[in-house]
Parts: sequence; C-alpha cells; structure tokens
Amino acid sequence: MDAVTLRGVTKQFDGLTAVSGLSLSIRENAFFGLLGPNGAGKTTTLRMLLRMIIPDSGDIEILGQPLSHATQDRIGYLPEERGLYPRMRVRQVLMFLSELKGLREAEADRRTRQWLERLEMSDWMERRIDELSKGMQQKVQFIAAVLHEPPLLILDEPFSGFDPVNVALVKNIMLDLRKRGTTIILSTHRMEQVEMMCDSICLINHGRKVLAGELREIKKAFGRNMVRIEYIGNVDGLGLERFATDINRFGSVVEAKLRPEIDPQEILKAAVERGVALARFELMEPPLADIFVESVTKARA
Amino acid sequence: MWLIIRREYTVRVRTRTFVLSTIGLPTLMVVVFAVPAYFASRRAGQTLRIAVVDETGGIGVLAAQRLAIPELPNGSPQFDVVSTIERPAHPQVTESRLKQKVLAGSLDGYLLISPAPGTEEAARFYTRNSGDYALGSALANALTQAAIGQRLAERNVPVSDLDTLLRRVGVSVVQVKQRRERKERGQTFQASILLAGILYMSLLLYGVTTMRSIMEEKSTRIMEILLSSVRPFPLMAGKILGVGAVGLTQFLIWAGSGALLLGYGEMMLRMLTGGTASFHLQLPMTLWLWFVVYFLGGYFLYSSLFAALGAAVSNEQAASQAQFPVTMLLVASFIMFPVVVRNPDSTLSVALTMVPFFSPILMVMRVALEPPPLWQMLLSVGILAVTTVVMVYASAKIYRVGVLMYGKRPSFLELLRWLRYT
Repeated sequence: MDAVTLRGVTKQFDGLTAVSGLSLSIRENAFFGLLGPNGAGKTTTLRMLLRMIIPDSGDIEILGQPLSHATQDRIGYLPEERGLYPRMRVRQVLMFLSELKGLREAEADRRTRQWLERLEMSDWMERRIDELSKGMQQKVQFIAAVLHEPPLLILDEPFSGFDPVNVALVKNIMLDLRKRGTTIILSTHRMEQVEMMCDSICLINHGRKVLAGELREIKKAFGRNMVRIEYIGNVDGLGLERFATDINRFGSVVEAKLRPEIDPQEILKAAVERGVALARFELMEPPLADIFVESVTKARA
Repeated sequence: MWLIIRREYTVRVRTRTFVLSTIGLPTLMVVVFAVPAYFASRRAGQTLRIAVVDETGGIGVLAAQRLAIPELPNGSPQFDVVSTIERPAHPQVTESRLKQKVLAGSLDGYLLISPAPGTEEAARFYTRNSGDYALGSALANALTQAAIGQRLAERNVPVSDLDTLLRRVGVSVVQVKQRRERKERGQTFQASILLAGILYMSLLLYGVTTMRSIMEEKSTRIMEILLSSVRPFPLMAGKILGVGAVGLTQFLIWAGSGALLLGYGEMMLRMLTGGTASFHLQLPMTLWLWFVVYFLGGYFLYSSLFAALGAAVSNEQAASQAQFPVTMLLVASFIMFPVVVRNPDSTLSVALTMVPFFSPILMVMRVALEPPPLWQMLLSVGILAVTTVVMVYASAKIYRVGVLMYGKRPSFLELLRWLRYT
C-alpha cells in the first residue's frame, strides 16, 4: 500500500493553474523529497493532501483511504510559514493542537512533556510563546507536528531557522521516526539535505511533474558526467575548457561537467602530455542541485 | 469544535482586555449616565446668594418675596436674597459694585429688572456660571408671579393670598394602551436607552473581538496548522461561539453584580425611609427574554460579518478600512433610536425594526417602550434568523477562501467571487 497516491490532480486559482494533472505515489515508510522552484505548486500540493484545499479534479488517497477527517488526523504538518498563539503557554499550545488531532487530554499531556524533554525544552513548558527565541518557537512547532505520532509526516522547509546543533537534533528525530515506520515528505530548496536524507523524490515545475523516482535511479540516469580533479602545482596547462564546462575551482581541486562528446580518458591523456601532476581523478554523479537546475531549465525551453 | 470554543473562551477570559472591559464598560455607563446627573444635582443643591436690583421700582420687593419661596430637594431655599435695591440713585455705580461682589464670590449673582420698550419690564440675571438651564426658569417663574401680583394690585385685586391665586394645575400624561394603562414614561425610556446601549456596545465589542482573533490566527500563520486538523466551518463557528460565550459570561457578571448592588441599595433605602421607597427598576421578564433573543441573533449576524472581514484582510490597516461599513450599520441602528423613542408604533419604526441589521437594537427598544404586536415581533425575529443563517453561510465561504490568502485586500467583487468557489 502506498502512503500517498495522487491521480491526475488539478487545482486552479482564478484561472491560474497551480497544479496540473499531477499523478504521484509515495510508498509507505519512504523519505520523500518534494522539490521544485518557487511557485511550482509544492505548497498547493501539500495543502491538498491535508484537505486544506480541495482539488478541482483528480483524486487523492492517504494510506489507502480517500481524504477525510480521519486522514487529516493521521498526518503531521509543519508548514513553511511558522506561527503559534503568541500569548499562550508552550504546554497549552501543544495540548490544544494535539487534542485537535484527536488525542485525549491525559495522553496529550503525557506526550507533550515527553517531547519537550526530548527537544531539551522542559524548562520552557510554562513560558509564553512570545517569550521564546525564534529557534525555540521552531522546536515547539516541530513538536506540534510529531506529537500525535502520525504515520505520515509532512515537513515544509523543516530546518530553516535552526542552528546546526538543532538541525542535528531534529534530523536525528526524523531518522528515528522513519525507522519506526513513519513516512516523511520533505519539501525544501536545500538540495544537500534532500541528497542526504531522501530516498525518492519528485520534482515539479509549473504544477507539472518534471522528474520522479528513486533518487539513486535518477542520479544514475543522469550518468557520471562530472569530473573531480585533485592536482599538485598548477592545473592551468591542462586546458580543461576544451573538455568540460561549469568549471569550479577550490584550492587544489577542480570540479567540472564533461562536455557530452568527451571521453574522460582524453583528460588523463592531456594531463600526461602537458605534465600536469594529478593526485586524484574521479568521475562523479552530478549533485542534485545540478539535476534540479538542468531539469527545470530544460522543461522551460 | 468544542476544543476551539474552549480555547477561545479560556484564553480570552484570562486576558487583561476581558477584565478591563468587564469593569470598564459599566463604569463608562455610570460615568455617561450618572456624572452629569450628579453635577446637575450638586449645583441644584446649593442655595444661591443673590441681590435684586429693580430700576422700574415696581416689583422688586414682591419679586424678592417670591424668590424666597422655591425650595431645593433637600428643603433649603433655592435663593437667598441678600439685598433688594429699588430705583438705585446711581444705577451704574450700584451695578459695578454688585459685579465686583459676584466676581469676588461673595454673591452668586444679581437680578437686574429694568424697564424695556414694548413690555412693562424685563430682567437679566448676572452670574459667574450660566450653565444651569433650570435656573432661568426658576427666576422667570418668580418674576412672572411677582408681575402678576403687581398687575392684580394695580387692578385693585387684593394680593394677600397670591399663593392660592397662582396655584398650579398638575397635568400627567397617560398613555392609552390596549391591555392596561401605564403612567410615567421616564423609567421605560431610560431602560430602553440603557438596553440599546448595552446591545450596541456588546455587539461591537464582541464582533471586533471575533475579527481580531481571526486576524491574529491568520497573521501568526497558526491558521495553517489549524486548517490541517479542522475544517474551516467548525473553526469559524467555534470562534464565534467562544467569543459569544465570553460575552455571555460578561453579561452574567454584570447582571449578577448589578442585581446585588440594586438589592443592597434598595435595602439601604428601605431602612432609611422606613420601607416605602424602592428603585422601581423591575423590568418585565418578557423584556429580558427578547433581549437575549435579539442579542443572540444580532451577535451571530454581526460576528459572522466581522469573521468574514477578519478572514479576508491580512493587516491592521485593511482591517480598519473594511470594518468601517459594518460598524456604520451598528452606529446607524443606534443613532436611529429617536425615531423609535418618539413614536414606537409609527410605520417608520415598524419598518426599521424589520431590517435585520437594525432590529437587534431597535426592536429591544420598542419592546422596552411599548410591546409591539406579537406578529411584528415574530416577523422581525424570523427575518433576523433567516438573514443570520444566510450571513453565516456566506461568511463561512469567504472565511474558507480568505484564511489562506495573504496580500492585498480583496475588493467587494472579489469577495462575491469567493462565494462561488467550491
């Protein structure tokens, strides 16, 4: 059974198509990345999963069931735009939000304490939200998303506003939840996070699917068209421009994208001929960021 | 929805605004109603020391006699005539001396009776403080009586029993009604204004509270989380009911403390007067019933309007602009009260009390003044109920679209378009 299934989902706002004929399936226990440039329709898609917006056509299933109040309760949501009641106390807010998700009062109280403990915030339990720093408010919001331990977790830019310590803390919690069977949908612009955490992705642009599948497969399909050269001395004599584009130089390392017709062996040959000392020569898969940019620009053309 | 109501209620009851308005609004009422009355009674409670200057030399002494008669509510005379000057030898000197006394405060004023062309005499009262409108009529009364006495004397009518000759004929206005006749409209009039004032203030206060509460959820963006758990309609309904419950709590506090105060006051009054006096503030039970009915109807109507506004706008400035027309409806219904007070049964009054945006305030006034026929009441409540249902429905649609829209304030046409969204 899939955690999420979309079939031909379309949504228009005043003649502007936000999502167009989107079909998608996310398997259970996946760590799924929903990617796309600004205004691609990511938030609209997520809102439709949450039944906040009703699609014009197409249908959506969550954990094998059509959207209903019950499916809403089985999703945890961390919206990109954060916000809590500024004048309520941390514990009150969390209790209220988890009771809205159907938890009983006693259970809500128990889990609130437990999660505040886990995110090192027990001391702040009775403070008002507006007394908290931004990072702490983010943590409270994260707790609000996971408190009812939903089988499906939707996180929109979950790391924004966190310092590295908290990023690590939250990341570990995400990985732990996943281990226990939670399906996680991550929507973000931060490609390195997707690369690190997600196992499957969908890239959408202008409301349409551009690219979807297992991250490994996608990268493989793009091929090992990147070259990484570590050198000793000077690399200028190599004339790398003949073989590659998008050349990035970092100290004694150069990364570049091979021109399509070039055989990588030609670079090695040139290095020997011109006396450039190489410490390391590596063919790489392209980073997700490049795949992202390339797919989006190709789709635009 | 229960959770939404409970949160709204518990959070709001604990706010400073709630405490302040619970104490503040009755205080404001007391200030508005009682303070002017208090000052009027305090001024009226003083005996004024005055001098009478009669340049005509006819009625000065008689006028001084008559001026000594009127009494203040506390039994002391209203005027103390310290000197009477007939035909002063040097009028200007006399007058400037009196003026100085008035300015210095040893005299509260002086009455100057001088010959005037066309009439036999005319008078002016010179005083530091000319604000008391009742003073003029008390003086005119005394002078007129003196002049009548004088004229009678000129026609050889003995004026020894002037009091008997001048005795007033009392007239009280009695309202003719189908069921029973009732005297004295002063008290029902006050009650109707008071009830209308309470309705006006509370509809405005709680309506705006609902709006602000929704705007807060929208601007803090917690709306997204709420909408991921709850459908828009229960969210809006919960908000309205929660704020409404706060309003009812406030009413109960007011009514409770008001009843206690009145009860206590009445007890004190009984003790002082030996059990005869009371405040006479018993309003009929049916009035309270209609008050509650119209409060609920008006509250749901206006707060759903305010809720739609709160959802449609995304900043303070847009809110105060959008709020204006709705507030105007409330203000309009309040300022139209003279129409109803003057004639509660006129066609205009009846028509106004059928308009759902006006009826909550104006109909309660009519009921307080003079209960209208039952069919009018039922028709008015019916129209109000239907409008409220339609309004809540339309507001829910606007709310549903509005809460996720940020940016520019939507135009009225856009709002109408939102109504058609599915």
